[in-house]
Amino acid sequence: MKNVKQNNYASRFGRSLWEVKELPIILYVAVMIIVFSFVIPGFFSIKNFENISRQITTIGIVSLGMTLVILTGGIDLSVGAILSFAINIGGQGIILGWPMWIVYPFMLMLGFILGWINGFLTTRIAVPALIITLGTMNIYRGTIMVITKGKYITPIPTAYDFIGGGYIPFIIFAIVLVLFIFITLRTKFGRNLYAIGGGEVSSLYSGVPVRKYKMVVYIVSGILSALAGMILVGKSGFIQPQAGLNYDLNAIAAVVIGGTSIFGGSGSILGTFLGAILMGLILAGLTMLAINPYWQGLITGFLIIFAISIDSIRQMRR
Amino acid sequence: MVTVRNVSKSFPGVKALDDVSMTIKTGEVHGLVGENGAGKSTLIKILSGIYSDYDGEIFIDNSIIEFSSVHDAQRNGVATIFQELTTIPELTVAENMFLGREPMKFAGILDFDRMKEISLKTLSFLDADIDPSVIVGKLSIANQQIVEICKALVLNSKIIIMDEPTSSLTEHEIKGLFPLINRLQEKGITILYVSHKIDEIFEICDTISVFRDGKHVGTKDKNNTNSNEIISMMVGRSLDMLFPERESNKKNLVLSVKNISKEDEFENVSFDLYEGEILGFAGLIGAGRTEMAKAIFGASRIDSGQVELYEKSKHFNHPQQALSNGIAYLSEDRKGEGLMLNLSVRENISVSNLKKIAKRFFINKKYEKEIVNFYSNKFKIKMVHIDQIVESLSGGNQQKVIISRLLMTESRVFIFDEPTRGIDVGAKYEIYKIMDDLTQEGKGIIFISSELPEVLGISDRIMCMLEGKLIKIFNKDEANPEKVMRVLTGGEAT
Amino acid sequence: MRTQLNSHVKLLIVLAAVNIVIISILTILSPTFMTYGNLSSVMQRMSELAMLAIAETIVLISGGIDLSIGATMALAGAVSGILYKLGIPLEYCIIAALLSGVGVGLLNGFLVVEMKLQPFIVTIATMTIIRSIVYALLQGNVLTGFPAKYVDLGYVYIFKIPLLFIIMIFFAVLAILLLKKTSLGRRIFSVGANENTAYISGIYVKRIKYFAYIASGFICAAAGLLFCIRIRASIPDAGINAPLEVISAVLIGGTAITGGKGSVVGSLLGILAMYLLLNGFSLLGLNPFWEVIILGIILIYVVGQENISKNIKGLIVNIIKSRKSAAKASLSER
Repeated sequence: MKNVKQNNYASRFGRSLWEVKELPIILYVAVMIIVFSFVIPGFFSIKNFENISRQITTIGIVSLGMTLVILTGGIDLSVGAILSFAINIGGQGIILGWPMWIVYPFMLMLGFILGWINGFLTTRIAVPALIITLGTMNIYRGTIMVITKGKYITPIPTAYDFIGGGYIPFIIFAIVLVLFIFITLRTKFGRNLYAIGGGEVSSLYSGVPVRKYKMVVYIVSGILSALAGMILVGKSGFIQPQAGLNYDLNAIAAVVIGGTSIFGGSGSILGTFLGAILMGLILAGLTMLAINPYWQGLITGFLIIFAISIDSIRQMRR
Repeated sequence: MVTVRNVSKSFPGVKALDDVSMTIKTGEVHGLVGENGAGKSTLIKILSGIYSDYDGEIFIDNSIIEFSSVHDAQRNGVATIFQELTTIPELTVAENMFLGREPMKFAGILDFDRMKEISLKTLSFLDADIDPSVIVGKLSIANQQIVEICKALVLNSKIIIMDEPTSSLTEHEIKGLFPLINRLQEKGITILYVSHKIDEIFEICDTISVFRDGKHVGTKDKNNTNSNEIISMMVGRSLDMLFPERESNKKNLVLSVKNISKEDEFENVSFDLYEGEILGFAGLIGAGRTEMAKAIFGASRIDSGQVELYEKSKHFNHPQQALSNGIAYLSEDRKGEGLMLNLSVRENISVSNLKKIAKRFFINKKYEKEIVNFYSNKFKIKMVHIDQIVESLSGGNQQKVIISRLLMTESRVFIFDEPTRGIDVGAKYEIYKIMDDLTQEGKGIIFISSELPEVLGISDRIMCMLEGKLIKIFNKDEANPEKVMRVLTGGEAT
Repeated sequence: MRTQLNSHVKLLIVLAAVNIVIISILTILSPTFMTYGNLSSVMQRMSELAMLAIAETIVLISGGIDLSIGATMALAGAVSGILYKLGIPLEYCIIAALLSGVGVGLLNGFLVVEMKLQPFIVTIATMTIIRSIVYALLQGNVLTGFPAKYVDLGYVYIFKIPLLFIIMIFFAVLAILLLKKTSLGRRIFSVGANENTAYISGIYVKRIKYFAYIASGFICAAAGLLFCIRIRASIPDAGINAPLEVISAVLIGGTAITGGKGSVVGSLLGILAMYLLLNGFSLLGLNPFWEVIILGIILIYVVGQENISKNIKGLIVNIIKSRKSAAKASLSER
């Protein structure tokens, strides 16, 4: 075994620690926390961080699903619509008096089915995922309005509050987060997602089940949207047809800001998580500084542009 | 052992493989040579599993093969290292090597330890100094290629096809590739080595097969032949190709290119172009002719050197500037840069000279129609209507559309880059005639082509380019196929 | 044989027919549909969205996409409103509003052309930025108090047709002339059809792209002003659903997402169909949200129909092929 370097820094996850590509976003988050902590009294407190985390769990969960989709080179504009569909249509079960142990699986199943439809259309019709999910978003939202007739579902039995209360959302988020980090770093499925995004044809030639895996990510995205919806219901105590508005945008923002390339093939779950945190930090910081919360969109927009510019430079260098 | 028996494959308008039969012996390094379009890449694609639709049979070790996909071919022991590398830049070396066949523990979890172990073993077998946990995108092309070879090894390939493996490698890296190939041979792997570099072929191959015009011309043992014979086999053909009778028409100096260079593409190229002459540029892949042409045309930058038009120095930063000064360029990438496929014939022709048909503010559709009809009649473009979508025309007619576009600009210098590629013989002749007529009108033509016969058949002078440098200039009467090919393949010109 | 003209005209005829069918059905089913009051209200309401559709059509034809159309529309309303409240004469407010649209277009153009970023993400980003500026300017409030002479334009009719509608038609005609009859229009189509070819053919691709985004910004700003006139106010949520509906309608109207193909008339017919459906549903007491569902289905079908039939054919061919090779295999085994 002559002349072959042994890798001394191999981490548990099979790759060198020095190649942590989340380094930039970790730095941004750290800088943001430090700056805000100096400027805002009370920022660096457990209560504040708890608050922030609470804000970002639902969008965070959806963003994780979106990350998988974008990694394969796709996109899902219908996540907000799926979220709303799952809780509104699933919520009809609440109105009908179904027990919780039927309603919850029903909601998740709806997320599964809608995600399946997205995946099916994207892989079978050679139309960009952008247009497909634009269309399904319309279809799902329209269907919600037709079935619910715009009515809120309230009151919700207190049993449903459990999932949204206390630390439960964190735990769920944390479980999904860790699971996904593990999957994307250590399993064949996860690594193949990067392959599909980075070179679909090469992957196809090498025997990667491209179509099947693409279907899976859309289904997962759908299920996670439903899950986020369930938590949302637990937190707010009612179900409204307009739920999930802007979730698509914000999820994409978190993914892109977290360093995942919109073209697919590079990025990470951890990055998205940090991207969501960064967005949450900024929102909280702005609010505490009594800066008009309306400026949040501006900052999000700039962050997105900044992130994709960096990505573009990386692509050009190659 | 690979036996190819009576294999043919056609595409619309062209017969890529014509009743090809040959044998590749087990464990040998078998070289495959031929000009562009000789059929080499079609055969490779069939063996790789990309094309499953062909006539004839192929046997590996006496059992017939029918690959339904590339993956299928790989499972059966055939791996191909294409010119365009198929590594996934964001994954590690080890992950690339095992793509699609990753060893797993339970529940789909990758067995990184095993991957690392086998990677290291494979890499060291090839004496490669590469860290398996490095992201492939960070490696040099040469190392990425090694990763692909390792992947072929991990797949337990019995046959490895290498398509122009040295085209992107430096001298030094090429020297490193050959010992690698020897190692593969030691393992009993059969290698099909496709290249246009004759000296390389002779250095590394045991046997050499020559293809020409889709046919298998012959197979020779390395020790029973020499480069001259191989070159003759590559180019020798009954010259039943017709070219219009041309008379030399040379007048004033129109274009003077002085020592132009562009990093990594071409170096110190100088030549003069006269009115009324056809200046042919011969060369093989990677010679740099297209890059040079585009730089002169203003589509890309020239790092150093001068271009003079009628003795006035010109710097073109954009094709529009070149066009305004009377230089037109026909791209070799017809679909990618020559046509707007879903627009009409009319729109494709008039796009370079909109000023002519839009004098005031609005396009004079009637005038446009007149002009477009003029050219389509002149060149006999076979179409139903000028508003027909260009995508539906045949290759030859598509090319005529682009040529019409160029002619409509009434330029003085025309750069034709592979104008007859993928076009049938009849249409080819028509294009030669068009070029000849242009010279009668006093235009100067730069004619780039990889088909030696036509370069020799119609050019007044022939420029030979190799790896970005202008190696030699032949006059029409002193050139013959063997001489030129020898220069193009890096041999000494006599 | 496919001429450009043929398939183009065919699609327009289909769209027109669809609209006629919808109109016929609604006339039969609802007594109030075919009344002047209803029709003029439809014409009024669709004016702004139709303007946005014109803007989006231009951008799509050039090969890009613009998701900031709604936000720009709102910006124009906010800018004109705020400036007027500050006492600036109305004419200058209007000019400022239109300039703000141009500014957005410049920003989009810069990011897409110079920074070479993907239009889809870029315009999502600018959309959030502009929308946030609008909210900040208006502080989340609805702004009223425009001068009567201004907002009363919404009640002006010329030959019984709402002025706002006529203004929209004016823009539409300009756009149609531009795209189909000028060399600039040709260049826009060329860039969208194949950027590389357009470049090699001597077109200044960058300038064309800038133009497309700036034109879009300008038209969206104008649409924003029309909107203010109609509802006699400036609201922060103006156009918030616009990108969805407008892009869907434009794609259904025959404009290709990949560029190089499209028509303003088609887009307008698409918007018309959308509005007729909406109008019809509310007149008939049906849930108007059926329109959104139908929009989504038609969108996927229209954009994918070539491929749907290709795919089905391909599936059949594959099945036949695998039967063939299975037969071959069993033969050779004997």
